[in-house]
Amino acid sequence: MDFISIAPYKRGIIFRDLALIGGAFVLLAFFLRLNWVIDFTIFAILVLSYDLLYGYMGRLSFGHVLYYGIGAYTASLFLVHVSPNPFGAIAAGIAVGAVVASVIGFIVVQTEGAPFALVNLAFNQIGYWLAASGLQQITRGEDGLPSSVAAVGFLDFNDKPTVFVFALLCMLAVFFLLKTFTLSPYGVLVRSMKENDDRVQFLGYDTFRYQWLTFVLSSTLAALPGALYAIFYGFVAPTVIIPFGNIEVIFAILIGGAGNLYGALVGAVAFKLISNILATTITRWEMFLGALLLVLVFKFRRGLTGYVADFLPRFRGKPATEG
Amino acid sequence: MIETLLYGFTIGAILYFFSIGLSITFGTMQIVNFAHGMVYALGVYFFITFLPFVGRIFPLALVLAILLSLPIAYVIERFVIRRLYGESLDYAIIATYAVLLMGTDAIKWIWGAAPQPVSDPVGVGIRILDVNFPLYRIFIAASALALFGALRFFFRRSIVGKIVAAALEDREGVRCLGLNVNKYFSIVFVIGSGLAVLGGVLYAPIATSEPYMGFHILLVAFAVVIVGGMGNLTGTFISAFILGMVIAVTGRFYSTAADTMVFVVMALVLLKDSFRKSWQRLTGMGTRA
Amino acid sequence: MLDVKEIDVAYGHAKVLHDVSVRLNVGETVFIVGRNGAGKTTLLRTIAGLLHPTKGTITHAGQEIQGFAPEEVARRGIRYVAQDKKVFSNLTVRGNVELAAHAAGEDLKAALKKLVDLYPKFSQFLETKAGSLSGGQREILLIGRAVVGNPKILLIDEPTEGLAAIVIDEIFRILNGMKENKVSAIIVEQNLAVVAKLADRIYMMKEGKIHHEIANPREIVATAELEEFL
Repeated sequence: MDFISIAPYKRGIIFRDLALIGGAFVLLAFFLRLNWVIDFTIFAILVLSYDLLYGYMGRLSFGHVLYYGIGAYTASLFLVHVSPNPFGAIAAGIAVGAVVASVIGFIVVQTEGAPFALVNLAFNQIGYWLAASGLQQITRGEDGLPSSVAAVGFLDFNDKPTVFVFALLCMLAVFFLLKTFTLSPYGVLVRSMKENDDRVQFLGYDTFRYQWLTFVLSSTLAALPGALYAIFYGFVAPTVIIPFGNIEVIFAILIGGAGNLYGALVGAVAFKLISNILATTITRWEMFLGALLLVLVFKFRRGLTGYVADFLPRFRGKPATEG
Repeated sequence: MIETLLYGFTIGAILYFFSIGLSITFGTMQIVNFAHGMVYALGVYFFITFLPFVGRIFPLALVLAILLSLPIAYVIERFVIRRLYGESLDYAIIATYAVLLMGTDAIKWIWGAAPQPVSDPVGVGIRILDVNFPLYRIFIAASALALFGALRFFFRRSIVGKIVAAALEDREGVRCLGLNVNKYFSIVFVIGSGLAVLGGVLYAPIATSEPYMGFHILLVAFAVVIVGGMGNLTGTFISAFILGMVIAVTGRFYSTAADTMVFVVMALVLLKDSFRKSWQRLTGMGTRA
Repeated sequence: MLDVKEIDVAYGHAKVLHDVSVRLNVGETVFIVGRNGAGKTTLLRTIAGLLHPTKGTITHAGQEIQGFAPEEVARRGIRYVAQDKKVFSNLTVRGNVELAAHAAGEDLKAALKKLVDLYPKFSQFLETKAGSLSGGQREILLIGRAVVGNPKILLIDEPTEGLAAIVIDEIFRILNGMKENKVSAIIVEQNLAVVAKLADRIYMMKEGKIHHEIANPREIVATAELEEFL
């Protein structure tokens, strides 16, 4: 565990941040509809997982949603065919996600840039097709797959506040996990690979192994929110695995700023807020979104946290030399 | 079956028309241009709008549509693409995607979301051995061949073509001779957009046009460009027809999987090196990366 | 006529050139020598406009040109020949020259004649794809391309690198011919024999700085000192 251990004082800071973030989300839950905030939380986990891949390792992927969808469908199928136990469903979702990510990752991680982005898109598209047509017998295709959850002890997932707290705890746990990883020597390694892969290899590291590991970790973590989605909504349709969803994730990370995890949270909430509000108030929201995206890319590329970074070192995506 | 093959050639031809611009832009500027799909869709919609006004004279409406699309392509090049030059790939993808999104919504706004059919302008076929060959489809496939020839001539004989061919390989070298490479890239970008619109218009009678058509063809076109090699026009020609066949044949036997099959092929091509390397890793053969 | 004053050049956050100053007078052939990584190529590329200094000025014919785009620098008559010997491999030899002639506004026939005068063997190779030329032939083609339009200044990066001895003699002959035609040049070179025979002045670079300038190479036992330096 030495490789991923971090200094105690840093751990203290992390716990403090966790409390702050948790508090912020609870506050949101009081002001906005609980449905929305649950949505934010689930999406935030997805964006966090993507930040590891894109923000830290520097790999743009257009197929991340595949694993989210795998998590969702596996969890649903588990609930329907095996047992209505939500924990089992989550475990199943994550497990299957991990296996698929391991296999695909092994092959895919060896490409980079546009090919990497598009190969992942290809797999995402294949996954989508399987859900919508290929494995229709199992997934019910476009009609969607309904499922229900049974209570476990005192935890009743049909009760919204319970779902919210559970999802929030998951999110905080993922944040903690990722923060620990990225602050550890492992995290420095990942960031170094983003900057200069060859040099890291010359130092004696098998970059492939670490890239593969990061890919698997990132994708597996994407399956978790998928499973949560299935549990919360009790219904999955091919839209959970549609490649278009990747744009939402990318958009969110751009808004918030990639590479420091806080940005993922900020971006996820901001994006969901904007699209929820937009969709109900402006008819031409797609055009607005597009314009916003352009402005972001040309003017505010570093995202919200990027600008805060000028004042608070905390938010800087640290270069590989620090840490 | 022969009809399927002809259909495959037709799709391949359209893909070729569309993919040229994409391939060149990637080859010259290292930019993945999603906005290409937007100009394509817009051009087709212009065509559909003009058709009734010109007495349904196909070529006239086509010319008008192209004339109107070229300035739009130029504006995109000038204000979006050029600013992305040298930037990281991610930003190019996101920015051009944003343009595509805006354009698609604009189409929905102006023309509505309902699909727009256009009838076959030739409407005649030739019968050989009990098989019906719609003349129009043959015409399309022939046009692609003609275009291929024309482009070869352009890149080998004309000075602009030679400059672009040289710049595709050694942009610096061209600049250090004193040539403003950006200007030539702009020209080629606009030509590529015009070709895409041409392809789209030719395709319109065969397929229905709807606001998201830009997205759909874009995804397949990326596969074409990647399989053929970015910036490699002969490769693009060949892969366009191969993938066109894949779509047609898959479509005949397993209709929903047609588009997805293209992605399978693309993934296979992209990963061929990875497969070899992965095998080496697993079996401990070969040198360490 | 070319004055580089105290320039700093950086790749991202990493500074590679510190306070570098060099001078080129009309008709001079100046050499820049140094170990790999000393910054010689960076210096040449900065003058050519491919890189821009974060500090300092580059003045040519009375005008400051740091920050100009490479095509603008080239049009002022400053031609850069890169180290990697990259030609337009899919074009023929003629095609390569054609681009140079088009850029310089010179007649193609005249440009081709100049090329063949430079290296008579090329008369047989005019229609060959440039990609199939040998390393030495490529270098000669690159130099031939660069002199189309009679440029004032040549910036040549390691012309003899990787070439066999016989070919190096050929390159030397060409460079000498240029010197006699009063073409000014800044050349990066590691081959001491060539340096010793052609240099009017030598700059020695080390770790991104000008270490030493030899103003009169004929007077110094050049070989010994340079060898030790390299």
